[in-house]
Amino acid sequence: MAAGASARCLSVRGALRLPLRCRWAGVCEPERGCRFYSKSAALPKDEGTDVTGIEQVVIPKKKTWDKVAVLQALASTVNRDPTAVPYTFQDDPYLIPTSSVESRSFLLAKKSGENAAKFIINSHPKYFQKDIAEPHIPCLMPEYFEPQIEDVSEAALKERIKLKKVKAAVDMFDQLLQAGTAVSLETTNSLLDLLCYYGDQEPPADFYFQQTEKSEELEQTTEENNKRASVKAAHQAGVTWKARNNAERIFALMPEKTARSYCTMIRGMVKHRAYAQALDLYTELLNSRLRADVHTFNALIEARALMANEKFEEKWNGMLELLKHMSVQKVKPNLQTFNTLLKCLRRFHAFGRMPALQTLREMKAIGIEPSLATYHHIIQVFYQPGSSAKAPSLIIYDIVNELAGKAFSPKDLDDDMFFQSAMSVCSSLRDLELAYEVHGLLNTGDNRKFIGPDLRRNFYYSKFFGLLCLMEHIDVTLKWYKDLIPSVFFPHSQVLIGLLQALDVANRLEVIPQIWKDSKEYGHTYRSNLREEILMLMARDKHPAELQAAFADCAADIRSTYESQEARQTAPDWPATPLNCVAILLLRAGRTQEAWRMLGLFRKHNKIPRNELLREFMDSAKESSSPAQALEVVRLASAFSLPICEELTQRVMADFAISAEQKEALGHLAALSSDSDSDSSDGDSSDGDSTKGR
Amino acid sequence: MPSLSLPRVLGGRKLTFASSNFRIRNLTPSNQSQEAVTRVSPKDQHLAPGGAPLGGGRPASPATQGTPPRAIWSRPRCPPPARAAQWHVLGPARRKMAASVCALPLWPRVVPWSRELPGAWRALHTSAVCAKNRAARVRVGKGDKPVTYEEAHPPHYIAHRKGWLSLHTGNLDGEEHAAERTVEDFFLRKFMLGTFPGCLADQLVLKRRANQVEICALVLRQLPAHKFYFLVGYSETLLSHFYKCPVRLHLQTVPAKVVYKYI
Repeated sequence: MAAGASARCLSVRGALRLPLRCRWAGVCEPERGCRFYSKSAALPKDEGTDVTGIEQVVIPKKKTWDKVAVLQALASTVNRDPTAVPYTFQDDPYLIPTSSVESRSFLLAKKSGENAAKFIINSHPKYFQKDIAEPHIPCLMPEYFEPQIEDVSEAALKERIKLKKVKAAVDMFDQLLQAGTAVSLETTNSLLDLLCYYGDQEPPADFYFQQTEKSEELEQTTEENNKRASVKAAHQAGVTWKARNNAERIFALMPEKTARSYCTMIRGMVKHRAYAQALDLYTELLNSRLRADVHTFNALIEARALMANEKFEEKWNGMLELLKHMSVQKVKPNLQTFNTLLKCLRRFHAFGRMPALQTLREMKAIGIEPSLATYHHIIQVFYQPGSSAKAPSLIIYDIVNELAGKAFSPKDLDDDMFFQSAMSVCSSLRDLELAYEVHGLLNTGDNRKFIGPDLRRNFYYSKFFGLLCLMEHIDVTLKWYKDLIPSVFFPHSQVLIGLLQALDVANRLEVIPQIWKDSKEYGHTYRSNLREEILMLMARDKHPAELQAAFADCAADIRSTYESQEARQTAPDWPATPLNCVAILLLRAGRTQEAWRMLGLFRKHNKIPRNELLREFMDSAKESSSPAQALEVVRLASAFSLPICEELTQRVMADFAISAEQKEALGHLAALSSDSDSDSSDGDSSDGDSTKGR
Repeated sequence: MPSLSLPRVLGGRKLTFASSNFRIRNLTPSNQSQEAVTRVSPKDQHLAPGGAPLGGGRPASPATQGTPPRAIWSRPRCPPPARAAQWHVLGPARRKMAASVCALPLWPRVVPWSRELPGAWRALHTSAVCAKNRAARVRVGKGDKPVTYEEAHPPHYIAHRKGWLSLHTGNLDGEEHAAERTVEDFFLRKFMLGTFPGCLADQLVLKRRANQVEICALVLRQLPAHKFYFLVGYSETLLSHFYKCPVRLHLQTVPAKVVYKYI
C-alpha cells in the first residue's frame, strides 16, 4: 500500500521532474519534495498517507537566475581582508602605499599612465584597428577627436557637435548660414545644447582626467564656509554666462523656437548663474504657450532660490509658485525636483526646517522613493554647522531608523555625501549606538560604494574611529583599530592622539610603543604633536621594569627622529617637553649614560629642565655615588638660575662625600644662584606654573 | 619559449621567421650540413651530382670549402637583412664564424634554375644551424657567473623541475590558435622588456585565463614606486587596446636578481 502510494508519488513526480530538472540543477535537491505539494511541507517519505492530496499540484513559477548569480553567492561568503590593500594597488611591499599621500600619488600615476597610453592609441589609430574581439568591444577601439568631414555641410556640423568642438561648431554654423543653407531644427537644438552646457567655452583641457575637489577641507564647518564664500564670490564676481554670447545669438537667429530650445537656454543660464535672465526667459516661454520639461523646472527652482536680494519667505513662495506651474502644466516632478528643493532649503538656515519636512511628505505622497541625497540634504538642513546653540534636533534617529536595512542604488550625484554628514552628526552628538547603526547601513548590500572618494572616506572613518576612542571599551577599540587601519584609511595624527588618550584613560599604556611603530609606517614620524603626546604619556608615571625598558626603547627611537630632523634642518630646535621626557625615560630604565648625555643637550638647546627631572638625576647620582655627577646637576640648575638649585646644593652637601674644591665650587654656585634668586622672585612663580602645567 | 624547429628534416638547422628569436642563445653551424645538402634530395635536382655547390662561375676558395653551404633554397634576391635580423641573438664568439658564412654570396647558386622556371620555386629562410643540445642553456663558466633558477635548468627539466613560462590551452587536443598565442607571447615579452628598461629580473610568466591575459613580472627596485604605477597603467591600457581583451599586470619586486647558483 505504501509502496503503491509511493510509486504513484514517484510517477507523478517523475512526470514533472524532467522539465524542472534543468531549473533546479541540483541546487535545491533536498527541497524538491516540498516544492511539489502546496499544502504540506513534509518530505516525500511521509506522503504515503496523503494520497488524496496529490491532485493539488501547484507548479511554481520559473525562477530565472542572474548570469552572475553563482558569483554573487560566492562573493557573499567572502569578507573584507583587513590585511590587504584595495585591489588597484600591486600586492607587493615595495608598491603598497603607506600613507594617504602616497596612495593618492600612486593612483594618480596609474591614471596618468593610462592617459599616456590613450594618447598614443588615439594618435596612431591605424595600429589598433584589428578587431579580434567577439562580440565587439567599442571601448577598446581608438577614438577619433578630429572631425573627418571637411566640407561645409550639416553633417560636418553634426560631427563637430558630437566631438564637442564648440568653436568649430559655431564657425561651421555661421558658414552654413552665410552660404544660405538652412540648418534643421534638430541640429540647431543640439548646437544650442552644446553651447549651453559648456557656456560658450571649450570643454576643459583635462577632459579625461577630472581633478576632483582640489582643496576640500575635512572639517564640515570650513566646508560650509567655503561653499558660502564661493556662492557669495559668484554673485560678486559676476555670472559666467556672458551677455550676447553665441548661444543667445543663435537663439535669436532661430526662425522657430521649440520648447526644447527654450529649455536648453534656461538650463544653460542657470548652470552659469544667470538667474534673472533664466526667469525672464521662462516668462517668455510661457507667453509662447509652450511647456517646459521637468529638468527645466528643476533648474528654475534653483534659480529662484539663488536669486540675490530676496528674503527667505519670498524665495520659498516663488519656489512654491513654480511647483504650482508644474502641476498646471501637468509636468510630473521627479527625484531631482525634490532634491533640488531640499538643497536650496539648506541655505535658508532655520527657516528651512518646516518646508523641508513638507517637501519630504509631499515626496512620499507622490510615491517617489527618496535617495540618500535626500536624507543628506535633510541632515544639512537640520544640523547646520554653525548653529549649535539650541538643543540639537533628533531627526537623525528617525532617518536612521527608516533607512535601516535598505540597500540603495545610485540615483543622484550627491548620494555619496550622506554617510559623511550622518557620521559627523553622530560624532557631534556623541552617540555610539547611532554610529554603529550608520556603519551597519554602510555595510548593507552594496552601500559601500556610497562612501565617496578618498577624502570623504577618510573623514567618515576618522570621525567614526574618534567616536570609538571616546566612548567604547578599549578592547573593542583596539579591535576596530586592527580592522580599519591601515586597510581602510590612513589615520591622521589627531586620530592617533585620540587613541592614545583612550589608552591613557583605560590604563593600557603598554600598547604605546606599538602605536608609535605603526605611526612611523603611516608617515607620522616627524609629527611633533604626536611625538610629544607619546612621550608625555610614557614619562608621566613610573612603571614596572620591563615596561620601562620598552618605553625607553621607544623614547630612544623618538630621540633619533629628532636628531635626524636636526641634521636636516638648519635651525635645530628641540622643544622642552620632549627633552625632559626622553631624559626621564632613559634614566628610569637604567640607561644612565645616555640620560647624562641628554643633560648636556639642555644647555645646548637652552631649554629648562624640570624640577622632577633634576631630583631624579640627583637620586641616580646618589645611587652611583658619584659626587661629580651631583655637581653636574647643580651646575646645570644654577646655569638656568633655577630656584631648586639651593635645595640641590644642600642635598649634595648632606648626602655626598665631596672634596674640598668641590665644596668650594658648590659655594660659588650657591652664591651665584642666591644672587639671582632675589631678583627672580617673580620669575619663580611663573616658573613653578610652567613646570606644573604641561 | 623556444623557437619552432623541424628537428630531423634539415639536420639540425633551424627555420626562423624574419623576426628575431628571443631565446636562442647558441647558433652553431654544424659540420654535417654538407651531407644534409645531399640528403634533402627531392627538391634539389638542380644540384650537380655529388652535392657540389652550384654557381660554377665562382671560384671555390679554401675558406669557403670548409664552411657549410647555406641557404640552398633561399630566394635569389634574398637580402642580407634576413640574416642581419638574427645577428643580435648570436653570441660574440659565433658572430665571427657566422661572418664568414654570411660573406658568401649564396644566391647566385639558385639563379640558373629560377631563370628556367620563373614562378615555380619555393623559398624558405634558414639560419645557421642551432643545435638542440645547446638550446636555452647557459654555458658553464669559471664559477663566477650567477644564474637564476630559470636559467640554470636546461629545457629537459620543464615539467620536472621547471614550470612553463606561458600558460594557455592552445596546445591541447582539439584547440586552435596556438600559433597566435605564441606570436602574442613574443610581442608581450618584447614590449615588457622595452617598457621596463633594466627592471626585469627574470622571464615573464604569461597566463591566459578566460579572455584575459595576466602578465606576471619579477622586477627589480630600480624605479620609485609611482613610476612603476605609471608604467603599469600605461602597459595595461595599451595592451588591452591592442589585443582587445583585458590585460593585467602583476608585479613582484625583488632587491636584486635572485641567484640560484654560480656556474
